Amino acid sequence: MRVLLVEDDAALADSIARALRAEHFAVDIAANGEDAAHLGETEAFDVAVLDLGLPRVDGVTVLSGWRLAGRQLPVLILTARDGWSDKVQGFKAGADDYLVKPFRIEELVMRLRALVRRAAGHAASVIRCGPLSFDAQTGQFELDGLPLRVTAFEWRVLSCLALRKGIVVERLDLLERVYEGEADPDSNSLEVIIGRLRRKIGAERIETVRGLGYRLVEA
Amino acid sequence: MRLLPRSLAGRLVMTALGATALALGFAALSIGHVLGRFVMHGLDERLDAQIQVVARAVGSDGTLHASRAVDVPPFDTSGSGWAWELIAPTGKLRSNSLGPADLPLPVGWEAPPPPGRRDRPDDPWRIRPLDGVDAAGRGVHGRVATIPTARGNAFVVAVGPRAIVDRPLRAATGPLLLSLALLAVFLVLALLVQLRIGLKPLRRLGTMVAEVRAGDRRMIEIAEPTELLPLVCELNTMIETNEQALARARGHVANLAHGLKTPLATLRLELAGRSGAGDAALVAFVDRMQRQIRHHLGRARAAEIGTKGVSVLLLPVLDGLAATMVKIHSDREIRWEIAVQPDVAVRCDPQDLDELLGNILDNAWRHARSRVRISAGRDGAAVLIMIADDGPGMTGAEIDTALLKGRRLDEAGGGHGFGLPISRELSELHGGSLDLRREGSDLGGVEALVRLPGGAH
Repeated sequence: MRVLLVEDDAALADSIARALRAEHFAVDIAANGEDAAHLGETEAFDVAVLDLGLPRVDGVTVLSGWRLAGRQLPVLILTARDGWSDKVQGFKAGADDYLVKPFRIEELVMRLRALVRRAAGHAASVIRCGPLSFDAQTGQFELDGLPLRVTAFEWRVLSCLALRKGIVVERLDLLERVYEGEADPDSNSLEVIIGRLRRKIGAERIETVRGLGYRLVEA
Repeated sequence: MRLLPRSLAGRLVMTALGATALALGFAALSIGHVLGRFVMHGLDERLDAQIQVVARAVGSDGTLHASRAVDVPPFDTSGSGWAWELIAPTGKLRSNSLGPADLPLPVGWEAPPPPGRRDRPDDPWRIRPLDGVDAAGRGVHGRVATIPTARGNAFVVAVGPRAIVDRPLRAATGPLLLSLALLAVFLVLALLVQLRIGLKPLRRLGTMVAEVRAGDRRMIEIAEPTELLPLVCELNTMIETNEQALARARGHVANLAHGLKTPLATLRLELAGRSGAGDAALVAFVDRMQRQIRHHLGRARAAEIGTKGVSVLLLPVLDGLAATMVKIHSDREIRWEIAVQPDVAVRCDPQDLDELLGNILDNAWRHARSRVRISAGRDGAAVLIMIADDGPGMTGAEIDTALLKGRRLDEAGGGHGFGLPISRELSELHGGSLDLRREGSDLGGVEALVRLPGGAH
């Protein structure tokens, strides 16, 4: 899962990014409205965290721009503006959730996970795929009822496949959602991660669709 | 000692009354004088005519011809006050009214007037006035003519009773003073009317300034009189400057609060990453700071005064807020309905209205089991908004606590939710009220009743 974090306060942005990465999210930071608008329109993100008071272009304008360009990614507004007028305005501009600073990082993580899950079309928090289950609300994987230990990269790949279970996820799409913008992924590294995951949950669970990508299957 | 009264009306009345009194006094004096001269002129003509008649008795050589001095009434009547005397170098003639006695003449009567502008070619006798008393002590007015003869000057003196002049003057004084008094009364009345009309714009200005202060009016709108326009212009500029200063100050408060929130959020995140007894205390401090900031931001908003007179349609506001609640409480499945006519409007600042209703709706969404119902309708000049939920309800004590009745916001201890007290403050600020009714509605939970002044749309 890749998060676009739009926050002009560098200290807070670092703090949030660190906390999100600890929860296995890939995090790209935009420090101003222009960068945010550009990134949001050109790259693939599972969810965006958007501050409203931004340099150059304010958050509501950025959000309206994304929606006008047809970008459907879920957006959580994270702002110090706690007036109801600001909230109404934010939701009218196309926000999906609104969190007021100061906030608890657990709440932010929980809300981001819920946004991603709902955007993928899952009403229930637990996604099952054969013996594998993914609690999209806690981020925990279980195999045959036992916790499954995964690395951050493995988690990103597997959660992405789990949220789209039964659907082919394109290789490029997967790459974009696993690696942060500045990373330069080795073209083989995705295969390495897939290989490790297959060893953990069974090779037959992750199907390679040649020329397209990968698919998580029930059996 | 103050010469001028403190009030404008007092000053105008005083100066106008002073000027009127002076003018009327002057008018009385000058009219009296003119009248006196007019009457005196009549007497003089009569005396001069008699002098003409008597003067014929004086020959050019100074001889007297008594038969030529015709004695006509009232000069021939004794005690009439009318008399004449001809004093020539060769003798004297006098009117019958005098009898044998001489006309009592004041000292220096025969002195000719000093030559001057009174000398006229048609007045060879240089007739001049003479005032004195007759033998009976009555005031008389006379005329003296100097007739040159070969033997020296002859004088003709004719006198008439002064009373003949004074009587018509006295008779005229009454009506004159009466009409002047009437004129004075009329002028005073006109002055009062003038004051009323003239000072009316000032009173209107005062009322408008009061309305601006109360927040019922934004600017002073007076187009006349032109004398007031510079003042109105200055006042409006001052109001605008005030508004801007207020907005700036509010902006600074908001910026300060928002500026503090972000580092606090960072601090909170940093502390959350650690665990220790000291850190827990720090977290408590951070939470307290956050509460303070929220509280003072809320106060700053609630203290806003200004665009109170704006009329806002209720339905779009409620729609926007309900949609917001659905998103914010997306984890809760709440069925909601809004029963509000589209033309119902309230008089409230739009942002305050969002804040006021947002807090209440948030509360309803938080506590409802499955349903929230919003309805509103006109109630006389006011609009009553009812927000009911099907939650567990509240006790009377809980309601008092929730609304912080009888307490100031900053006295409140901890806990979350300054929302409802802020809503209460906002509703009261805009001339309305907020009440919570437990088990007030058929939904079973709490029903919030918001009353706000109705707007026009």
